[in-house]
Amino acid sequence: MSRTLLLAALACLALACLAPIGVMGLRLAARPEVLPDILDPRTLGLLMRTLRLGLGAAGIAILLGAPFGWLVSRTDVPLASLWRPLGLVAFILPSLLLAVTWTVLVDLRGAPMTTAVMGLGTFPIVALFTAKAAARIDARREEAALLAGGLPAVLRMELPLLLPAILCGACFSFLFAINDFAVPDYVSSVGRKFNVYADEIFATWQVDNQDARAVATALPLIALTLLALLPTLWLRRRGSLATVDSDFRRPAPLRLGRGRWPALLFCLLLVSLGAFVPIGRLLWEAGGGTTGEGWSPAHLSGAFSQAIELTHANLLASILYSAAAATLAAAVAVVLGHAIARGRWTVLLEPLVLLSLAVPAILFGIGNISLWNHTWSRAFYSGPGLVIVMLLGRYLAFPTLIDAGATTAIDPRIEEAAALAGAGPIRRLFSIDVPSMGPAIAGGWVLVFVLAMRELDAAILVPAANRMAMFKLYNMVHFGRDDFVAALALLIVFVTVVPGVLWTLLLGRRLEVMP
Amino acid sequence: MTCRTTPLLPLLCLALAACGKPPDLVVYVSLDQVFSEEVIRDFEQETGLHVRAEYDTEASKTVGLVRRLIEERESPRCDVFWNNEVAQTVRLAELGLLSPYDSPSAADIPERFRDPQRRWTGFAARARCLIVNTDLVPPEQTPRGMDDLFDPRWKGRCGIARPLTGTTLTHAVALYDVLGEERAEAFWSRIAAGQSDETPQVNVVGSNGQLMRLVASGTLAFGFTDTDDFNVALEKGAPVKRVFPDQEGEDPLGTLLIPTTVAVLKGAPHRPAAERFVDWILSKEIERRLAFSRSAQIPVRDDVPRPEGVVLPAKLMDVSYVSIGMQMEARTKHLTELFLRAR
Repeated sequence: MSRTLLLAALACLALACLAPIGVMGLRLAARPEVLPDILDPRTLGLLMRTLRLGLGAAGIAILLGAPFGWLVSRTDVPLASLWRPLGLVAFILPSLLLAVTWTVLVDLRGAPMTTAVMGLGTFPIVALFTAKAAARIDARREEAALLAGGLPAVLRMELPLLLPAILCGACFSFLFAINDFAVPDYVSSVGRKFNVYADEIFATWQVDNQDARAVATALPLIALTLLALLPTLWLRRRGSLATVDSDFRRPAPLRLGRGRWPALLFCLLLVSLGAFVPIGRLLWEAGGGTTGEGWSPAHLSGAFSQAIELTHANLLASILYSAAAATLAAAVAVVLGHAIARGRWTVLLEPLVLLSLAVPAILFGIGNISLWNHTWSRAFYSGPGLVIVMLLGRYLAFPTLIDAGATTAIDPRIEEAAALAGAGPIRRLFSIDVPSMGPAIAGGWVLVFVLAMRELDAAILVPAANRMAMFKLYNMVHFGRDDFVAALALLIVFVTVVPGVLWTLLLGRRLEVMP
Repeated sequence: MTCRTTPLLPLLCLALAACGKPPDLVVYVSLDQVFSEEVIRDFEQETGLHVRAEYDTEASKTVGLVRRLIEERESPRCDVFWNNEVAQTVRLAELGLLSPYDSPSAADIPERFRDPQRRWTGFAARARCLIVNTDLVPPEQTPRGMDDLFDPRWKGRCGIARPLTGTTLTHAVALYDVLGEERAEAFWSRIAAGQSDETPQVNVVGSNGQLMRLVASGTLAFGFTDTDDFNVALEKGAPVKRVFPDQEGEDPLGTLLIPTTVAVLKGAPHRPAAERFVDWILSKEIERRLAFSRSAQIPVRDDVPRPEGVVLPAKLMDVSYVSIGMQMEARTKHLTELFLRAR
């Protein structure tokens, strides 16, 4: 690996991910006596409850995502190529919109509904990982299992091979569930209250002169998140998520026989729960369905026209900031991913990359303010630059892990041969690794773009992020402008899915998003 | 492009992203964006000044802009803070973040809405009110005050926002100020204690806006919110009516009035423009416009024209905004412990 490139990438990692966390760590270091305060029974109670929510959501994500991912990737379930992208919509939709939809339709509140919504919103991660892992199982293994005992034997053979990917996806589901506070708060607005630990972190920042305690309060959640990510790293290092054989043969779709129609119903049900119903509700509201006038195409068209007219600048800002952050992340992640896969510092570099993912958004946002609000950096602080750096810092971990996984799949002997032939490290990276990693780089780019388009928690603290469409959407929700808000939400969802859809349609290749 | 220049691409992207036209004035606005951005746009047109306005979100009240102002204290970049309430402004004043400015436009604003040291000025107020769903609540059962929240007939059908942010936090602290420690503590403890019940007597929701939507949709029968939220529901055609709480009886508690506040920041980078903005925003004309807007802000000056429904409650809660602001820190901590419990 080129030292220049690696140093540049490490500088980006340090600047965007580690420095804001380091600044906040210094505040805690100045007053370490606050640490024991965070272990009082009340906060421990909240932490245990949050842990249960995370485990419950991850369990639901496994129950829904694992069979869905396997069915759409490996079987002859009707319309599999349609279900596969539609299954992702539940993750692309902001989880609060899912909560709003389902609390209207189902009379269930509190912990069960929160867990169900978080499980539904994150099952696509498990499905995606399962689908990718299932597509990597060699045809010969499957043929042998089929001959030995039919479909049940195939399932028995495949389950252990899929399990690492399923668990890896569940870890991410757990991570998203324990860090969300908007959904528990919204879902338990009526009936028994369901407070979670993220609430505590948010509230602690309101008390003056308690910065050290506020940072300390975040530590248990950071530890919990890192603990959830450790299995992912371990599985990745074991190679459990990588291609199985070098002379790989792609398997043919498995015939489900009579099971085809129940499988179709399952896929249809899941896509309805996560995509059709929430999107349908947004279309209903955008068309004036909740007003006295009733739904009409003219109202729908009017709501979209108004949303575009009033928020086109916000949508454009969101697209530009998210695309810039995704592009920077893609560039930095290729180098860091390669260093993790091939370098000697994997054990050190991996946790550092993951750290920003584990830090609560509010702490990360305040860290960026402390770091960048100086006279010399005022233009950068007030402009889009800080938004891009903040988004890069928040989500760099995802493309880095994906690229590290993709690099592992490239035979290192090819790089060694090129080195012997005189190719320098930069040339080797761009001539050998990057072309082979196209789907992984694109997958990482799309993932950062999607997450950046949805970002709100840290964005509320960064000046220029005010112009982003999600910020506008949440402000509009307050005013009960249901048609306008629904149209804007649909526009955001549309813009968010466009890059992934274009990649698949134009190049005919699937995105790689497995670490 | 050679391979050697490739690593510079990300840095080039960042440098380009950092470019932008510098503003003549930076205003942090926690008054709702849909109401305030039009006013600020008019100020720009009238004065030719380029204003950078940065807004708060409904969900992040307090933690968003106030936190940012505190974090930026060493190197202030905001000139004016236009807050939708008063307690957090007092808190900033007490932290030494605000600079005195005695605006000539504020000369006729009643003294109770102005800081004695002129670090902030209140105007265009909102009142805490009960929003009542008229389909669910017969006229003879209309709630009249905060004690109606505990009426068994409304068990599980009334609500209030969690008193940890925004105007509900101000309301909570004001009750400690006017009712005294014991009665206020009993009131909030009773609400908090009920949260572990399957059907709590009083539902505690995320925000005033959410409470308004729950009542407007008929999920709840009534609850506490602000007059601007009530007005939004009314304009949407929801079956709701407004009740100013605690107006009746021998010595009624009265309704809490919460003025919008405006303040110049200490070390404001564009001080002359900041003063010009404060003079402009405190004018009677802007207060009139805010009264006729969807937020239906209540003018604090008697001679400012207003729509028919935008009225001051007959009996106002007798509070000291400075006192409320001074108690915010300790009360917030206590209320957090009271309301954020795992049950």
